[in-house]
Amino acid sequence: MVRARGLAVLIIAAFVAFACGGTSSGSGSKGEIDIATDLPVSGADASSGLPTQQGAQFAVTRAVTVRGYTLKLMPFDDAVNGVHDAQKGVQNVQAMLANKLILGMVGPFNSGVAKAEIPVANAAPLAMISPSNTNECLTQSLSYCQAANGFTPASLRPSTINNYFRVAAPDTFQGPAMADFALHAGPLPAGLGITKAAVWDDEETFGQGVANNFAKEFSAKGGTVVDRKSYDPKAKKDFKDFLASAKDKGAQAIYVGGTSATGGCIARGQMAGLFNPDIYYLGPDGIGDAQCLKDSGSMATGNMFATQGVSDATQNPAAASIVAAYQAAYPGSSNVGAYTFAGYDCAAILIDAIGRAIDANSGNSPTRAQVITAIAATANFKGLTGTYSFDANGDPTHPTLQLQQVKSGAWTFVAQFQQ
Amino acid sequence: MIGALARTPATLRNFGNSQRATLAGLLIVAVAVVLTIQHVLQHDPSYFFQILTIGIADGSIYALIALGYTMVYGIIELINFAHGDVFTLGAFISLALFPVFGIAEGGTGYGYVLPLLAVAVITMGLVAVVNVAIERVAYRPLRHAPRLAPLITAIGMSSILEGAMYLWKGPFNLHYPDLLPITRLNINGVSIGVKDLIVLTMAIVLVVAFTLFINLSKLGKAMRATAQDRDAAQLMGIDINRTIAATFFIGAVLAGAGGIIYGLYINNVDFSLGFITGLFAFTAAVFGGIGNIPGAAIGGLLIGVIAAFNNGYFDSAWTEIVIFGILIATLVFRPTGLLGMRVPEK
Repeated sequence: MVRARGLAVLIIAAFVAFACGGTSSGSGSKGEIDIATDLPVSGADASSGLPTQQGAQFAVTRAVTVRGYTLKLMPFDDAVNGVHDAQKGVQNVQAMLANKLILGMVGPFNSGVAKAEIPVANAAPLAMISPSNTNECLTQSLSYCQAANGFTPASLRPSTINNYFRVAAPDTFQGPAMADFALHAGPLPAGLGITKAAVWDDEETFGQGVANNFAKEFSAKGGTVVDRKSYDPKAKKDFKDFLASAKDKGAQAIYVGGTSATGGCIARGQMAGLFNPDIYYLGPDGIGDAQCLKDSGSMATGNMFATQGVSDATQNPAAASIVAAYQAAYPGSSNVGAYTFAGYDCAAILIDAIGRAIDANSGNSPTRAQVITAIAATANFKGLTGTYSFDANGDPTHPTLQLQQVKSGAWTFVAQFQQ
Repeated sequence: MIGALARTPATLRNFGNSQRATLAGLLIVAVAVVLTIQHVLQHDPSYFFQILTIGIADGSIYALIALGYTMVYGIIELINFAHGDVFTLGAFISLALFPVFGIAEGGTGYGYVLPLLAVAVITMGLVAVVNVAIERVAYRPLRHAPRLAPLITAIGMSSILEGAMYLWKGPFNLHYPDLLPITRLNINGVSIGVKDLIVLTMAIVLVVAFTLFINLSKLGKAMRATAQDRDAAQLMGIDINRTIAATFFIGAVLAGAGGIIYGLYINNVDFSLGFITGLFAFTAAVFGGIGNIPGAAIGGLLIGVIAAFNNGYFDSAWTEIVIFGILIATLVFRPTGLLGMRVPEK
């Protein structure tokens, strides 16, 4: 029902955008430029994908035109049977490449999808800017990338130029940030002051990467990873044996490298009775959504913490008016996800870059390669979630994370970390 | 006992009985047992009992599903791949019925016993009707077709059921109310969950009741006769169609009960649950000897315990490899399973 309502709002918004575009540009329009999104907007992943798409849509709706060209958002859904699917993502990118009006895409949402899409988009080339990909090996040549993930930035990019950018903090920041927070002596929001943690992952590119990064930092800073386990999200539904094992080894916290779509919070719901209520449940941005709280049942308590790969736009006074306008257009808490305003920023950065590319091309519609050059040249772009410039790898130069805690049944801002 | 598979290929049976294969199998089992004991001794004994109860509780749910596989196989030699999804349907229907009977998480514990029983009875009935309908529509017309044909329709039915549940509730994980008491008993320092005990008891009661039914009732006798020789049974005046429909009905009753017990124990269901759970239960049925009812029950328990021990003491990434390794090893070395397929007297 929530999905249906979201969709209805989206259709209305698209309608309004279309209408506005028609009236304001009128006969003076120089043509149409399209921005694509590739996000999982149906099924289990929709709880995070759809609000992100709405953020991007809102940026396009607000901009209406760029240098006299009418802007239009072309949304693609990379979910199959309700779960993000790399193959579907690749098909979407191929469809985008076939549409000459599309000059860049916002997305994808999941690192595993990005891994499959980057090579196709890079060969074209087509600019990609992701609000939420956090796997570090997508952009950084680290010694363990080939062994741990099976790819390196170079192996994903057949051409020599980089077409991939993101605004989210990589997992080399996200995992360790939670480890530091867990180890640091309390009270909140300074830290939790624990030394023994069990670390699990869901055997996915993202989950395994962020869990390894957490474990590495936690051990390096004096903590002990007492139990390290992986689970197959399709088969593992009963976590009681994992929980018994973690308890047997004296874990004070469980860090789960996973998402709520891969069952990252089922175990939290099964903790009731097995653990004392003071056990901490920690995770990356993948568990920081409403689905996780449903799965946690009666255990959705204040001892759950999650990092989010971007800062909280509602903590940024300069963003207040746009955030309020968004909330008026998309009312209800389910329309604001952790990456909604990152989605807005990605679309806004893309529109800004397209504008500069048009200028550089003496007012004509730019090529896709020119748009990539313009994004790479983005300098101190003031977005809702931060001020963005990109390094040579496509990473934000000063990524910001936020830490969230469950308070009265909702994920709530606790603290912010900047690298 | 229901039991058939009179036509096990002679070569397989010979290989299964050959000394070399038996020795190899025993050696693998011995190594596994020694390794496990070694790991068990490194931990607190109470941990051992905790893992054991989790394994037995999980295993008793697999056993309930495995019984359905084994019964249907025994009577029409069909591996009913839709059975796992019938089990999921039981969980889904009961979940939808809870609000109707005013059952919600966090309410008064013992006041729920009667409404829960009502939900269970309605759910088992509805699921059984669905399963009988599946048999009527998808399997009966193909009863004399080559064996591959009903197998493929079974896979098709599985997809249809999953698709229907997907459309009904969506792809999300659904939280199943945590109604059983979460308290734990402390027996000589060993902590055992009341929840695990309840699940275990419910499953055992169902399996025993079912075994008695098959052995003592007239319908059970008809089922056994049909399994042994369908044509002869028909000549003796047994209504074959009715007997087979009854088999599907009873199999679904157990699967529906399994779905409810699973929900109450795991507190989490989703539309695709039946696929992998069904495969585990199928493995259990083959492990115990397909067509053999005590075999399915013991196979289910063993699969649950092996999975729990592997997760609790070893690397969990190996669990599925171990379980399906057992499936393949059983098929290769001992195709008749632990207790043996019951080969009808001729």
